[in-house]
Amino acid sequence: MRNIVIRPRRHFRVPVEAERISPDVFAPLSIEEIRSLEVWEGNRRAALSELFDISGDDGPGRGDETQISLSGDFSRVKRVGEKMTCGRIAVAGDVGMHAGNGMAAGEILVDGNAGDWLGREMRGGRIKVLGDAGDYVGAGYRGESCGMRGGEILIDGNAGDYLGEHLCGGAITVLGDAGDFPGIANRGGTIVIGGDAHLPGAEMASGTITVGGRARVLPSYQYLETVEIEGLRFKKFLGDLVEEGKGELYAASVEEGRG
Amino acid sequence: MIIEGGIVYDPINGVLGEEMDISIEDGRVVEKAGGGEVIDARGMLVMPGGVDAHAHIAGGKVNTGRIMRPEDGRRGTEPRTKLLRPSTGYTVPNCYAIGYRYARLGYTTAFEAATPILEARHTHEELEEIPIIDKGALTLFGNNWEVLECVRDGDLGKLAAFVAWGLRASRGYGVKVVNPGGGEAWGFGGNVKGIDDPVPSFDVTPREIIRYLMRANEALRLPHSVHLHTNNLGKPGNYETTLETLRAVEDIAATRDRQVLHVTHMQFSAYGGTGWRDFESRASDIADYFNKHNQFTMDMGQLIFGSATTMTADAPLEYGNARLLKAKWSNHDIELEESSGVVPLVYGRKNPINAIQWAIGLELALLTEDPWQMIMTTDHPNGGPFVNYPEVVALLMSRRKREEEMATLHDLASKRTSLPSIEREMDWNDVAIVTRAGPARILGLQEKGHLGVGADGDVSIYEINPEKVDPSRDHEVVKAALARAKYTIKAGEVVARDGEVVAVPQGRTYWVDASVPEADAARVRADLVEKFAKYYSIQLSNYMVQDAYVTRPRVVRAGVI
Ligand SMILES: [Zn+2]
Repeated sequence: MRNIVIRPRRHFRVPVEAERISPDVFAPLSIEEIRSLEVWEGNRRAALSELFDISGDDGPGRGDETQISLSGDFSRVKRVGEKMTCGRIAVAGDVGMHAGNGMAAGEILVDGNAGDWLGREMRGGRIKVLGDAGDYVGAGYRGESCGMRGGEILIDGNAGDYLGEHLCGGAITVLGDAGDFPGIANRGGTIVIGGDAHLPGAEMASGTITVGGRARVLPSYQYLETVEIEGLRFKKFLGDLVEEGKGELYAASVEEGRG
Repeated sequence: MIIEGGIVYDPINGVLGEEMDISIEDGRVVEKAGGGEVIDARGMLVMPGGVDAHAHIAGGKVNTGRIMRPEDGRRGTEPRTKLLRPSTGYTVPNCYAIGYRYARLGYTTAFEAATPILEARHTHEELEEIPIIDKGALTLFGNNWEVLECVRDGDLGKLAAFVAWGLRASRGYGVKVVNPGGGEAWGFGGNVKGIDDPVPSFDVTPREIIRYLMRANEALRLPHSVHLHTNNLGKPGNYETTLETLRAVEDIAATRDRQVLHVTHMQFSAYGGTGWRDFESRASDIADYFNKHNQFTMDMGQLIFGSATTMTADAPLEYGNARLLKAKWSNHDIELEESSGVVPLVYGRKNPINAIQWAIGLELALLTEDPWQMIMTTDHPNGGPFVNYPEVVALLMSRRKREEEMATLHDLASKRTSLPSIEREMDWNDVAIVTRAGPARILGLQEKGHLGVGADGDVSIYEINPEKVDPSRDHEVVKAALARAKYTIKAGEVVARDGEVVAVPQGRTYWVDASVPEADAARVRADLVEKFAKYYSIQLSNYMVQDAYVTRPRVVRAGVI
């Protein structure tokens, strides 16, 4: 596998729009050509090599054999892996907002935390975060009627608010807690939350949300029965009835004082 | 400026593909220019600048579309340059993008199709920000209380005086009528079901509203006829309402040399069937009727697959759309004048209804024998964005392209319409009519849509040789050439070259100042004082569009005296 290593040359005070950092863009290029790719730092256009040190195997190469290794603080570097269809991005450190936007295939691994809008409108592929993720994981950006449509997002830590908003497919797993309104307006995706969740599935039309910890359940959900899944007992609800929804919500423990 | 040696199509002046020079001086076509820039157009197609007679490009509902659709704003973004401001949007572009994109297509004039008087200031604020093109706005009258009362009282003189006042108050160009009576009924959650269904509280019918407004329009000798969005628009089986409406006004005569009624975006009004299951085209019934009645005109309202934003003063229609599609919905009450709605949607090739709708627009255009009666629009952005006009022209010019497209559609497009059997392919003269000469004549814009001496120096030049390219076979070449004008010339200035905007002048705004007898005007004023005191949320003095809102007006005079 061809490995390309990118390290920030300095601390970024304003966000860098780095949608060019993608195996699809890098694969046909030599290291020298990659260095001269243009990115925006705030309202200033810059060559990739002005902002980052770039080294590794020279190209060109095949997309599915391209790995990009990001090393350092990328927390203000946005849109890494946007629309990628192949290859692999490995981040040793934190990654900024909108990582894996609309990605269709390939893999992103973050050994650190991810910012907001991780994997938004993702079509396929796999994203794994070993730390925490911000708000709107797998969601649709402002105005979109569909967020993630396919693929898989795994978060070992906690996720922020509005996890999987407008999900139209795909699967999100969070081992820790989720914030407010996970699975809001779910239209057919699957969400599994290992820890606690607050008001899951508001406006859900279809799909499944499972909460392994405690959940505060909306009053517009109808309790159906208690079921056993892999040896654990869950309360099963139907909703969101406000939307005449057919979504399934499973919660291991329900916080009292519904509503 | 001299445009040398182009192959010119100028149907109004009977020029059909002749190689000739066009001279422009002081913004107008002249016999011979004293000098200036010389443009070599040899081997290229030269036509008058395009004229769009019906598009939703400015005003309250356009902006509502933008607010509702940030996801649309992200499509088609182009950064600012030294010359240009940033562009955003696809179905609801920002003001700058509207001007730039028309110019790139070779269009130099476009009319906003529906403005309530109450919101006309907003419309003009946006029109002022649309660069390059000349523009105007049609004013909504079909659900206005003053109109309904004049119709109820049979007071044609007062109605004409109110129409003249409304055009002045809105700095509007013509009389737009949308689902007459239905917009008022929607204020009470209802609609009208046909042209003889009475409007709640007013004891008038759509038939009477349309007839009276047409008679007032003709009494005022306005440059444009009444511009009608029919009752029951968008509903299966509505072709009967459409034909009934036309039959109801056959006895009314135009007082100017133009149509007596323009029925807009006919695609949405030519439906058969009793519901969506047996939904079918009735385009041939409509076209047959038009072929026998040349006092009427229409535009296509062609559907474009992909994203669209429907926006109309037909609020009950939009409520139905939103419920049917579970889509975002905006609903708006415009006090004593109208209601309106906005719903974004996606037209799908495999959706049987959408596929049939697509075919209906083309059937209408191709089955109507006289191109002067049937002009090209997409009812931007209701049927689709205007940037797709080259696609529509290619479809009209190439049966092969229609067949290629139909092969990708739901098969009901072939089974429930007559499109597969239609052989007609438009030629360049037809295209010049349906995109330029026809819209200009229908709107009554004397100096637009042609290249005779005295015409505005608005010219589009395309890098395609009509003598060498066979549009039927090379439809891709046609589409590509029309999408990026080699030159767009506005008032004698090159504004786009090779599909890129190179100059950004400010266009003019047309409006109609119609005179009426003082006695009628005084009666209208008395009514208005009462209405504003009793009902409107704003003062009459804050209602009129002042001159400051229309900085470069082009006033067309009309009227009774
Ligand atoms: Zn329209």
